[in-house]
Amino acid sequence: MISKQPTVSRRILNILGPFLGLLLVIGLFSLSSTVRPYFLTGQNFKIIFTQTVIVAIGTFGMTMIIVSGGIDLSVGSAVALTSVVGAIALSNGHSAVTAIIWTILSGALIGLINGIVIGGFRMMPFIVTLGMMGIARGAGKWLSGSQTVNIPETTPVNSLMALSKPTQLFPLPMGVWITAALAVLMVIVMRRTVFGRYLFAIGANEAAARLSGIRVRLQKVIIYTVAGLFFGLSGLMQLSRLTQGDPTVAIGLELDIIAAVVIGGASLNGGSGSILGSMIGALIMAVLRNGSNQMGWPTYMQEIIIGVVIILAVGLDKMRQRSRTA
Amino acid sequence: MAKSFFRGLLTSVFTCLVWCACATDQTYTVAVVPKGTTHEFWKSINAGAVKAQRELSTNGTKVEIIWKGPLREDDRDQQIQVVENFMARHVSAIVLAPLDSQALVRPVNNAIAAGVPVVVIDSDLKSDKYVSFVATDNYKGGQMAGEEMGKVLGGKGNVILLRYAVGSASTEAREAGFLDALKSKFPDIKIISSDQHAGATRETSYGVAQNLINRFGREVNGVFCPNENSTIGMTKALRDVGLAKGKVKMIGFDAGSLSIQDLKNGDVQALVVQNPMLMGYLGVATAVKHLHGEKVEKRIDTGVVLVTKENMDQSEIKDLLYPPLDKYLK
Repeated sequence: MISKQPTVSRRILNILGPFLGLLLVIGLFSLSSTVRPYFLTGQNFKIIFTQTVIVAIGTFGMTMIIVSGGIDLSVGSAVALTSVVGAIALSNGHSAVTAIIWTILSGALIGLINGIVIGGFRMMPFIVTLGMMGIARGAGKWLSGSQTVNIPETTPVNSLMALSKPTQLFPLPMGVWITAALAVLMVIVMRRTVFGRYLFAIGANEAAARLSGIRVRLQKVIIYTVAGLFFGLSGLMQLSRLTQGDPTVAIGLELDIIAAVVIGGASLNGGSGSILGSMIGALIMAVLRNGSNQMGWPTYMQEIIIGVVIILAVGLDKMRQRSRTA
Repeated sequence: MAKSFFRGLLTSVFTCLVWCACATDQTYTVAVVPKGTTHEFWKSINAGAVKAQRELSTNGTKVEIIWKGPLREDDRDQQIQVVENFMARHVSAIVLAPLDSQALVRPVNNAIAAGVPVVVIDSDLKSDKYVSFVATDNYKGGQMAGEEMGKVLGGKGNVILLRYAVGSASTEAREAGFLDALKSKFPDIKIISSDQHAGATRETSYGVAQNLINRFGREVNGVFCPNENSTIGMTKALRDVGLAKGKVKMIGFDAGSLSIQDLKNGDVQALVVQNPMLMGYLGVATAVKHLHGEKVEKRIDTGVVLVTKENMDQSEIKDLLYPPLDKYLK
């Protein structure tokens, strides 16, 4: 599958597919004349970008995992746990830098454990991370005594996701820039590095990858650990957004992240997916939420619409692939 | 395809600029953001908001209500998103029941900075920038329960207080009010347990209540529970061991349909009942008053009522126990 390089036009179509979806959704909310004046504004897109950060950073890790043929169901719990770790570090008087390092490393630790069990014992990622979902959630509640942990108001961590000057597009919060920079970095890693090629090789055909000399089990440990770093960073952003560590936050976040990756064109069978697509997938869902809020649509409508969008996106992708092979 | 789309977008941006420049909207749009949408309590608040809208409209002030809970119930981040999205939508005002007294501070202050006034209802927020705080005086509610307890026990006996959860401001105020009232007015009543927490669900509270009754069942004369699920769990535990029907005097908080049933059957002696419909009504009315430029009180008490088997059939109390939801939400 890697040997067969897609033609230029097909690659453009692949990138454009989800992008068109995003434009479609934006267009949908621009139709209403009462909402349009508020919806299509710099300040609203500042809010949409900020609301996308946590899911978008999560998709970086999840795209790696899904491309390599795996899945991670423990992301929501990992985000909650790491946000609690960061909050406890801050409330115990540690500096912001120390707290940030702790938060991200605790995410990597969860990923490392996932990776070792999955790679080392050759267990199904679905089962292992399902277990970790409970373990990390429980550990977060345990560490925090089942309560939210408030952090000092003045800590620089809070400013990562703070919306200053809410009536204009700039300045965007630091978190948005970090996400954009990481996206560029990850596009390069996925496309231009040996590690990136390994991801696609393992996901497309694990046996073939192993036979051609890739140390698949070691790579899996690395994949889940690096993904864990991203989930820890998501946890940091969650901490900054709530200005508190909350062990009950982000329940079901992993499903939003998986949906974003899938809307972005990845296959749960592994071997395909892109960072850009996943980012756009995350944006589509954020725009849907933002727009339905402003249209005053009831919450259940949002849930139904997002569900339909996921199925439509994957369905269209399948049709595109079929027409290619035919 | 993409090009024409983009042109369409540009055109719409342009039209909206023109639209903004010449149109002045006379209708107020008030977004009401509860903590969740499925509990009866929030439905009553919704009904109250609609009632306010109808009354204001008949008096010539056009108000549009947008009722919008967080996508996932009790998820703080989701509620922050809702507040932010309404800020960007430039609604005239937001009426908010914050899920957390700290986490919602920044989005609320941002909204106010962006020119959208916020009225806080139900639970307090650690900010002083909001227009008004419209809620039950929980401490007073606890005191009423304490006084009733003293009365039904004749001023002496052993009492259990089953707390709700650590860190929940509203129920802690009720618990404090209850204990203070007993201590100051009924010195002969002994508190034999006041350090157990019922937890968030009926299941947890039922378990804790069973353990407590197993330990103190022989000496206890009265029990107070500070919210709906602890009341239901404790009543069930008392019924299990034959201590219901007034053998142990049971006083609870809030009027869920099960608690009302228990009150009718005599398993519960009294319920302290809040007025969520008035909370929704006054939340919207206060926001509109503020938009009219009138001065409003910073703290508005929506009152509590002690409901017993004797007074539960009076019409104004019936409205509290069975709020006329259909009249406003259909």
